[in-house]
Amino acid sequence: MSTEVQAPTLTGAKPRNMWGVTGVPTGNLYVPMPAVIEKIIVETPDTKTFRLRLEDPKHAEWFTWEPGQFVEVSVFGAGEAPIGFASSPLERSWFELTVVNRGKVTGLMHELKEGDRVGIRGPLGNCWPLEDIKGKDILIISGGCGLAPLRPAILYILANREDYGEFWLLYGARTPADINYKYDLVEWEKRNDFHVLQTVDVGDESWTGNVGVVTTLLDQVKLDAANAVALTCGPPIMIKFATLALVKMGFSEDRVVTSLERYMKCGVGKCGHCCVNHVYLCTEGPVFTYAQLQEFPETRA
Amino acid sequence: MNVGDKLILKKNNVSDFFYSLQEQMQLIAPKQRFAGDVVFDLVNSPDEIVWEYGHDIYPPGKRYLFPHYEDMFSYRQGEQIAIDVAADVPRQAIVGIRSCDVTAVRFQERFFSSPIVDPFYKTRSDNTVLFSLVCNEPPKKDCFCICCDAGPYLESGFDVQLTDLGDRFLYEIGSEKGLDVSEPREKYLEASTEQDIAERKRIELHADSLFQTASYIAKAIIYITSDEVPDEVWEELGSTCFRCAACTNLCPICTCYTVDDRPEPDGSFTRCRSWDSCQYAGFTREASGHNPRPTFGSRVKRRFYHKASFQYIMRDGRHGCVGCGRCVSSCLTKLDLPSVVKRIRRAMHDYIEPISKPTAFLE
Repeated sequence: MSTEVQAPTLTGAKPRNMWGVTGVPTGNLYVPMPAVIEKIIVETPDTKTFRLRLEDPKHAEWFTWEPGQFVEVSVFGAGEAPIGFASSPLERSWFELTVVNRGKVTGLMHELKEGDRVGIRGPLGNCWPLEDIKGKDILIISGGCGLAPLRPAILYILANREDYGEFWLLYGARTPADINYKYDLVEWEKRNDFHVLQTVDVGDESWTGNVGVVTTLLDQVKLDAANAVALTCGPPIMIKFATLALVKMGFSEDRVVTSLERYMKCGVGKCGHCCVNHVYLCTEGPVFTYAQLQEFPETRA
Repeated sequence: MNVGDKLILKKNNVSDFFYSLQEQMQLIAPKQRFAGDVVFDLVNSPDEIVWEYGHDIYPPGKRYLFPHYEDMFSYRQGEQIAIDVAADVPRQAIVGIRSCDVTAVRFQERFFSSPIVDPFYKTRSDNTVLFSLVCNEPPKKDCFCICCDAGPYLESGFDVQLTDLGDRFLYEIGSEKGLDVSEPREKYLEASTEQDIAERKRIELHADSLFQTASYIAKAIIYITSDEVPDEVWEELGSTCFRCAACTNLCPICTCYTVDDRPEPDGSFTRCRSWDSCQYAGFTREASGHNPRPTFGSRVKRRFYHKASFQYIMRDGRHGCVGCGRCVSSCLTKLDLPSVVKRIRRAMHDYIEPISKPTAFLE
């Protein structure tokens, strides 16, 4: 067998800190750090945002993360689930996780109150390549709760607005009631250096905006594809069609960056659930470029 | 005494040798159980060890280093969250383990220690010494370790390797760990002669000549790596799968596990991990209901991609099969490695036109 064949190089930006790679403050990979729920924000009928603070100051001091990374949340009595960071990375003393009520763990998590405790293992995974795309125009496409892992990136870019070119956000939700972060979207729409377009699959009597899937908004975007980078996150079907539309618009395959999701257990590349071909999403992902995804037969569009 | 020494352990010293070892650590060895079955278990006395046994279907290396159910820690909710990490494991020697299983243990050791070290596996593997036993002849007709570079005897990778030479064992020391348990028992060991080494060589050649099953895995590696096997072939293979997961559970290499929080009668919870299988539909099904591997075929494809793709060989240092033949014995519908490899080779002939280049991925 020739040694010329190399596993494809993964270039999703490398975070400064990764659980298990740069240390484990609890001393054991599988033991979580206790965290207190400081605030619960109800986003939609089935989605809540939890603001968490690590209880142990030693853990809090060690804990730094980048937009795009995620944590394993232990809901005591139910189990663990991987959830992406959803708050500003500039805020060090707390962080937010947006959780949709779907399964056993997230269901029990929705019953928790302010002051209750959960366990945190993380940060896990790689991050959005925000440093590498400085100076570029940014187009963000997201659907439903897929806005959550992109929110830290948006807040980071808005905080360092002069480092980036044109900035567009296309956001689609199923119905007006399913729109996350309404309080943010109102603020963002007021800015003249940030173009925000929203759409819903099904409108109601109060909805006056666009109706249709998120890719229908692409016609309104005025960007030079040669100098732009697209960040996408959402349901698999949305990612697929958004990526194909972007490539048609002239985006090169390595300029379309996406965050994948998989069922996940350990978060440290051992349990095998999140493998996409030979790549462990939890340690080498979840952020990949479309060019990288082409290397994996399992995700080929 | 040095690593690499080839010594002799006379059979009338075997009992004393292992009694002396038992003072240091517990012994896991093949033992008569359940109506004459020989399975690996904790032995109370070294005299219980059955030296002439075939092959334990329940992989002993995996079972004692990465148990079927393993408690990770327990926790209790109250004012604070109190977490208790599982206690340390005892020192153990696995005696009589076969070469294929030793190779699989080395594979798992490498997997569980790179790039991130799994603390539970590491504690167990640090506390375990393997006394492997050469197969003087293939224990079963299903064995094909000879095609997978994993047996019937080992050149390296063992701690101590024993070869049955009739009234004596050839005792080879293969690692520092093996040396540590041998040095205090020097009085039971003696130097080997040229005849012993020649006899060992004769046994090797004799064992090699008796294998019946062949896997030709190299051919499948090329097809699977370049993703040339048509999906129809996988679906056809998958259409017979019962989802019993015997193949992955009995595979000494498979490492996938799931994690559960088990409620205890006293109100606390134990987080435990247990073997999982990529052959289950729920293995990749997400909470939203979306399943990236929705069909039987895609899951069978997954299993063989992990076993026999060059991408995984690059990661793990070898392909994921040691030829122990357990999948051959256990699968009711012939989804074992040799059969699937054979069916892929045939399918490539039936489905693909001759112009296709199996080595396209090399360019």
